[in-house]
Amino acid sequence: MAAFVTWLRETAVSEAFRVPQPWLWPTFESLHFLGLALVLGVAGFFDARLLGFMKGIPIRKAAEFLPLAKVGLAINLTTGLYFYIASPFQYSFNIAWWYKVSAIVLAAANAGFFELMLKTKMVTLRDDEEPPISFRIVGTLSLLAWLNVLYWGRMLPFWSPPGGGADL
Amino acid sequence: MQEFLESIQYSAFGLWVAGGDTIFAYPTILALHTVGLGIVVGMSAILDCRVLGMGRSVPLVDLQGLFRIMWWGFALNAVTGLVLFIAAAADKAYQKIFYVKLAFIFLALLTSSRIRRTVFGTALDPNGPMPQNAKFLAVASLVFWMGAIVAGRLMAYTQTF
Repeated sequence: MAAFVTWLRETAVSEAFRVPQPWLWPTFESLHFLGLALVLGVAGFFDARLLGFMKGIPIRKAAEFLPLAKVGLAINLTTGLYFYIASPFQYSFNIAWWYKVSAIVLAAANAGFFELMLKTKMVTLRDDEEPPISFRIVGTLSLLAWLNVLYWGRMLPFWSPPGGGADL
Repeated sequence: MQEFLESIQYSAFGLWVAGGDTIFAYPTILALHTVGLGIVVGMSAILDCRVLGMGRSVPLVDLQGLFRIMWWGFALNAVTGLVLFIAAAADKAYQKIFYVKLAFIFLALLTSSRIRRTVFGTALDPNGPMPQNAKFLAVASLVFWMGAIVAGRLMAYTQTF
């Protein structure tokens, strides 16, 4: 790990992300929070619907807003990758970052499961029909996973290793 | 003014928030402030994008409840925001970007409540096209909330802003 991080930190890309553009980091941070709002807000809205709230909206119609969450996720994966490449030490040895990444993997696996296994059911569900319990489980896991992503992301500066945040 | 700011920042409460020897002080309050941000801006994004033509099969009336959730998110952020301000009052009060953020929030709230009254509160045909001014308000709301996020994020850079 240390060898990889040291190598990455020395690459021209990492250097270019870091040195000549002091405004790039704050700009990407801002975008990262915008993406956060889209992911948490829109995925949270859909999860709440899976859990049985807002029954007036059929689940397949609530799903029409999910592209917004996907846009947010795309923004955040891009900007997140930038942070990591620009400042790999700050994250690689920070336990909060590993929790965050684990939660992202869990959220993605959960969403993938829904997409592959439950989407057909969602589309054919009658408007007045109760969804199977699996919908509630997916909604709960998704909500918990994304809240963990946010929480551990926020904890990054408080758990950073000694001198770990010195990059920027 | 300076005296007042310092008196709240260095009050027992202000000191506990800023440096309390527990993860439940500053870090947790900051995390809650971020959850509130996600709720407020996320709900607003759904409502605005609905006005702009996304999810047209969802009747407006069924989305009205989102305004209430948004309001709860805003209440959470008003409270946590005030607490975060107290913990750093003598610094934050002199950051120009802080007032830019407040201005954006004010404009965004004004726009969102206007959307609630003129678009969601009326008997508009839920499947018909939105009037031009409704779309204008929706775009304005998105821009104002984005501005609030960016300004809030930049408050972390005390040296520059």
